[in-house]
Amino acid sequence: MTTGQKTRPKRGPKPRIAVRRRLSRAAAAAKVDQQVDEQIRISTLAMEAAIDGIFIIDAQQPFFPVTYANPAFRVMTGYDRKDILGKNYFLLYGAEADPLIVQRIRETLLQGRSFHGELLNFRKDGGKYWHLLRVAPVRDAGGNITHYVGIQTDVTTMRQREQEIKQQREELLHVTRIGKLAEFVSSLAHEINQPLTAIHSYANAAQRMLPVGEAKLCEILQYIIDDGQRAAEVIRRLRSLLKKVEPEMKRFDMNDLIIETAGLVAADAHTRHSILRTSLDETLPLVYGDRIQLQQVLLNLISNSFDAMESSRNFREVLISTARHSAGTITVVVKDSGCGIPMQDMPRLFTRFFTSKPDGLGMGLPISRSIIETHGGQFGVENNPDHGATFYFMLPVSSGEAV
Amino acid sequence: MSARNPIVYVVDDDASVRRSMTLLLKTHGYRTATFSCAADFLAFDHPRGAACLVLDVNLPGLDGPGLQDVLVRRAPAIPIVFITGHGTVPISVKAMKLGAVDFLLKPFTASDLLDAIRRALLKATAWNKEFSEGTKIRQRIATLSPRELEVFHFVARGLLNKQIATKRGTSLQTIKVHRSRVMQKMRARTVTELINLARKAGVAIA
Repeated sequence: MTTGQKTRPKRGPKPRIAVRRRLSRAAAAAKVDQQVDEQIRISTLAMEAAIDGIFIIDAQQPFFPVTYANPAFRVMTGYDRKDILGKNYFLLYGAEADPLIVQRIRETLLQGRSFHGELLNFRKDGGKYWHLLRVAPVRDAGGNITHYVGIQTDVTTMRQREQEIKQQREELLHVTRIGKLAEFVSSLAHEINQPLTAIHSYANAAQRMLPVGEAKLCEILQYIIDDGQRAAEVIRRLRSLLKKVEPEMKRFDMNDLIIETAGLVAADAHTRHSILRTSLDETLPLVYGDRIQLQQVLLNLISNSFDAMESSRNFREVLISTARHSAGTITVVVKDSGCGIPMQDMPRLFTRFFTSKPDGLGMGLPISRSIIETHGGQFGVENNPDHGATFYFMLPVSSGEAV
Repeated sequence: MSARNPIVYVVDDDASVRRSMTLLLKTHGYRTATFSCAADFLAFDHPRGAACLVLDVNLPGLDGPGLQDVLVRRAPAIPIVFITGHGTVPISVKAMKLGAVDFLLKPFTASDLLDAIRRALLKATAWNKEFSEGTKIRQRIATLSPRELEVFHFVARGLLNKQIATKRGTSLQTIKVHRSRVMQKMRARTVTELINLARKAGVAIA
């Protein structure tokens, strides 16, 4: 029965089936082709639509001819299709582009590796732009490199922002440094002026006490007086050179200043493996003061906190919070989870030149406190019950804001 | 050195500044007494006579301007020469408004200091004279009877006899009698003189 069944279909329908099979194989192939076509079509459309610049270079030719460049690439570089297609990719780099980097890209590709880097490039019209470039080799089934595919992202605005932030930080650091230096010189001048006053008076008294006829001794005493005067003059000039800039008093939102300052130290926090959190009272009234000086205070407290947490194995977190203290004052609190302040250091904390840091000047906290006090506020510190310290300051709210 | 020589008080927390100024002032014929803080100076019982104070701004405890605040309420006031190693404009302006003679920045020259001290002592003489005049007038005021004192206050304020009579509810004649006795006891010839005496004695005229 099985044989009969087997043999029977040999006639008649069999060739038909074969034909049908052959036909369906062709149909399947056609269908696959269609699918591939569709995929290629979509891929091409996607590449054309991409926001990043995409280009393909023929790797079989020695002069790196570009065989494809999507519209985004053309917009980014300012070259049109005829400038690009078939032309050496590296010629698209302007003459001003860093030849070392261009050489590096070329060598990396020739070694069959992919390139990844951020570089400055020039548009056709000479305009500068920064781009993040990734170029990878494309291999055929045999593993031979046939093409290179590149993607480039315009990072000019990002770069500019980074640059701006960096510049802002540097300016602020400079202001802080000058402020510290001025305070330092002023304190130093005070310390030196005391003995100078004494030297002056002693020498003058001695001159008057000299018996008549001691002309030589009298002359020497006069030299002492004159040189004392000279030293005083040097100090006076140094002080006038570093005269404090008048504070610029304005009404402003403390929360905004804290958010801005947190942005400035974000990178610092990251490299120090610390977290900076804020908890701000949304209903905080405006304060009246010098924004830059108060930012210095915030930066000083934050960087002290980072320093204090340097050797901490705890969770490293700085929390800045604001709140209304009373109807007429607000409080800003900077709390860290660092090592806290040793009890014996507490009384000297605001003394000029007192520091627990190997490279510290001992000016940060005294200046911060004097800034807060000239704003009519109060400055304070206490250790937390668990670990770390809390610095806080209170400021009067801007007049007309008090309830 | 005679006990008549003027006294220069020095309040400064720097021992070397105190010692050197003592020497300098002595060689210029002044008597001196030095103090390292404001409290010590306040506790000191000053002898009468010409005196001035050389006062450091930055002091532990009560600072220079703080001590000045206390001293200007006293009579007779003592002229002050401020010295400071940390001169700030607001502090000096306030000090000068409260009658300070000078505000010297350390290190000052001997002649600057001696010049300021001379001016301070001149001021001390004037203030002392005013004060003793005031004392004499206050002694005269003390001889007035309660009614006369009342009339004195009214007259010093510039009220007319009629007005005073209405206020007191007495006759014009009685007021005239009281008034002439007041003028006599106070040794004043005119109302203007009486008002001046009242001012010198520090009697408040509302």
